[in-house]
Amino acid sequence: MNAGIFSCLALLSLVAGPLSAQTAGQLKLPEFPTLADKAAESVVVTFDSKMLNFAGSFLNTKDPDEAKAKKLIASLTGIYVRNYTFDADYVYPKADIDAVRRQLNAPGWSRIVEARSKHEQSDVNVFMFVEGEKARGLAIIASEPREFTIVNIVGNIDLEDLHDLEGRFGVPDLDIETGKEAPKKESPKKETAKKP
Amino acid sequence: MNEDIENRLRAALRRMDPPEGFAERLLAALPEQDLPARVAALRAARPVARPAVAPSRWQRLAAPAALAASLVMAVYLGQQIGAQRYANEQRAGLEASRELMQALRVTSKKLDVAYEAMRDHNPPPANADSEETRT
Repeated sequence: MNAGIFSCLALLSLVAGPLSAQTAGQLKLPEFPTLADKAAESVVVTFDSKMLNFAGSFLNTKDPDEAKAKKLIASLTGIYVRNYTFDADYVYPKADIDAVRRQLNAPGWSRIVEARSKHEQSDVNVFMFVEGEKARGLAIIASEPREFTIVNIVGNIDLEDLHDLEGRFGVPDLDIETGKEAPKKESPKKETAKKP
Repeated sequence: MNEDIENRLRAALRRMDPPEGFAERLLAALPEQDLPARVAALRAARPVARPAVAPSRWQRLAAPAALAASLVMAVYLGQQIGAQRYANEQRAGLEASRELMQALRVTSKKLDVAYEAMRDHNPPPANADSEETRT
């Protein structure tokens, strides 16, 4: 009897552990171990809050890019990037990307941008995890014939900070309500995609 | 009775001349040189142990010198380890910050692609006041 209860508790702890470790807005990104050999170039970044703080402390605040990056990451708890570039078309497994895409069907996630280019055969989707009217996570899934990228930014994403990055890193104005009036710009307004 | 005792004492203690040759015999019996009196030292209760040979200067300084050398080595090694650790931390930190910037650039690049694609497919309306679509 005791052994049964004990094994049930052990099983519960095994199941509950990973679930509780994953914070809201965080996706479970595969490591794509087989792609590292196939890819011509790859960027694999797995930064939790500790690592972000550590990396942030080494950013040079005299450099404008790094100063803005430091401000941006202050409220984040994780940045996860998988970016692979290949020498041949579609050598990456679409099933892995679909597995990540399926996680974005969970409650809280909503697609805010869907961009497809038939000419370049590129597909970019931007998702936002909103909790209590606050953006807690951002996900980008971009695929091209010879490149695919998955980005997951976790934390209290301040859209003002995203606006600050506009023109610096090239982050576009997503026209998302932030409670503050966005400054008027001369650049043409963008249309955000509707939820499918 | 008393007079008798007195008389006998007087007779016994009366001055007498020494026998002939007494002075010569006495002088002959004396030693020829005056020797100092002999004083015998008392034995100590416990004999004091004394080292046979005093230690040399090097022997006396060996232990403190070894201790000092050990301390200097410990401080030097500690500094070296600390400096190495600091250098490793600096290297790892700079590498992490470089990766972080790279991750942000990849992110912004992809957002740029999304923006460009949307702009190409949805040119800005002629009337700036036209209603925008928002999620």
